[in-house]
Amino acid sequence: MKRRFINLLNYAWSCIQRYRVRTIVILVCLAIAAALFSSVSFLKDGLVKEGELSLKYAPDLTVQGISAGRQTFIERRYAGIIQTIPGVRTVAERIWGYGNIGNTLLVIVGVDLENKAVNLATAYPLESGSFLDSQYNNTVVIGKAVADLIGAKVGNVLTILTESNQAQQYDVIGVFNSESSIYSADMILMNKNDARIFFDVPEDKVTDLLVYTKDVAILYYEAQVNYVAREISELPNIRVLTKDVLLRAQETTYGARSGFFSIVWYVVLISVAIVAFNQTVVVGHESKFEVGLLKALGFSTSDVIQIRLIESAILGTIAGSIGLAGGILYDTVLNAPVLRDFMLGWAVLYPNFVVPTYISAQTVLLTYVITIVPLLFATVIPSWINATVDPDIAMRGAKA
Amino acid sequence: MIEASNLTKIYNQGKQYEVQAVTDANLVAKSGAITVLVGPSGCGKTTLMSMIGQLLTPTKGRVLVENEDITSLSDGWKAVFRRKNVGFVFQHINLLANLNAIENVMIPLLCHDVDPAKFRQPALQLLEQLGLGERAFFRVEQLSGGQQQRVAVARALITEPKIIIADEPLTFVDEESAKTITDFFSKLRDEGKTILISTHASNLAKLADKTYSMKDGRILN
Repeated sequence: MKRRFINLLNYAWSCIQRYRVRTIVILVCLAIAAALFSSVSFLKDGLVKEGELSLKYAPDLTVQGISAGRQTFIERRYAGIIQTIPGVRTVAERIWGYGNIGNTLLVIVGVDLENKAVNLATAYPLESGSFLDSQYNNTVVIGKAVADLIGAKVGNVLTILTESNQAQQYDVIGVFNSESSIYSADMILMNKNDARIFFDVPEDKVTDLLVYTKDVAILYYEAQVNYVAREISELPNIRVLTKDVLLRAQETTYGARSGFFSIVWYVVLISVAIVAFNQTVVVGHESKFEVGLLKALGFSTSDVIQIRLIESAILGTIAGSIGLAGGILYDTVLNAPVLRDFMLGWAVLYPNFVVPTYISAQTVLLTYVITIVPLLFATVIPSWINATVDPDIAMRGAKA
Repeated sequence: MIEASNLTKIYNQGKQYEVQAVTDANLVAKSGAITVLVGPSGCGKTTLMSMIGQLLTPTKGRVLVENEDITSLSDGWKAVFRRKNVGFVFQHINLLANLNAIENVMIPLLCHDVDPAKFRQPALQLLEQLGLGERAFFRVEQLSGGQQQRVAVARALITEPKIIIADEPLTFVDEESAKTITDFFSKLRDEGKTILISTHASNLAKLADKTYSMKDGRILN
């Protein structure tokens, strides 16, 4: 039986070579679909992974003020109240918002350098220069993408228009590591006091409070965080964001964006299935005759179906592999042009920014499944229909 | 020995364009003999041959091969029967394009549990016996009609079947090929094969140990 299977496999391979036009059309269409799907998936998975990494150093809870259902500044006095809740290690203040350099939108973050309980230097690894020091005002550390955009490096002076439309100068003392993830790429980090002036935030308020809980065994971590979150939620006009909520928000954002491409991908896939089916019908005349002849020569219906299954599996695997290779090259070598701008939402910024890509076994497997299965349906069903009629009818029908 | 009794084929039965192609055909083809079906074009010879070879399911009647009713077999077992017992030569030759002569000859081996490479020499020998030794590796498109039909004869014989069913094998064949094929059928008869041929060709009809004449779907004698 093993020898017989090898014979059928060899015959299927010879069919792939003989029906050259159909083979090429199917391979090209399916490879494009696989490349599109895999590149979007790898990029989306990379972004989610990146999000997970960025949350690794994130506070356990982020507390924001709410006014009329919208986020607003939170009163600093809440920090003292939260600090008294059992399980809370420390509370840090943060002021952040968006600013512009030219037409490019940047994230400006002011961190609480006076709170020594939080090791910010670990969270923001640098490529060059040094980290912020609470003793020095008007100093900034900038993201790699910002540095690339304006050609800035350590020692340069950066001029940015503040909220009150004043040109404010800052000394660049450090540049974040390019691999320190997306969240720092478009960021300008400064001390909290500078940010307060920049955004014109009242003295008794900050953008959010970052709550770090005490170190406990991992088993109790969630319970502790939930308890602290519940206690904080009792305070008026605030909202509490956990790491999970932030991660889900990220997943939803990138998931929705990749969802758009998934729709494009579905359209491509359906087109491929139609092309494959059409090709099967186009060569159906020839194929129908061949099925009849094979049966006349002693092949059974299951032999014929096996041949077509093998043929489709080979074609789908080759197309899937080419598509995967294309997707990987597109993401890693070409840095995902077009897709990068869409997925990250950055249309102008960061020509040299390396997008995160995560090649998971799950996505690889899924790519193969979705390239092979539609092809099986598109090619095997017509062959099965041909194979179930009398060989004489199949041959005559093909000649008619 | 093959015994066909009351074989009837009605196409589009019960529909507007119903055609009764063969009606109550009775025929016996003995082992080691050439049985020939003659008759005008469209009289039902091909349909009858197809029913006997289990390429076509009869509307009525049965075919016994060595006293076994093969018409009652399932589709799968009919395939096994054809694989083990029958070699077909078709009027329209029916070789697969884009393959060479020897590849076409070896196709029937692919549904057997054997290594086709071991049959390469026998396939070459068959082609040599049919005068195509030097063209074994020519693609089908590079062969004349007569040469193609000789390849088809070799294909029918590669699995050494007991029964040869040849439907108008000389229709598209030149004189030289016709003589080669005719001589070959004669040799096969001497080897004890059961040979059933439908033909217009007088030289092939002359070989017949038994001749049946057909007209309007019926066997006359």
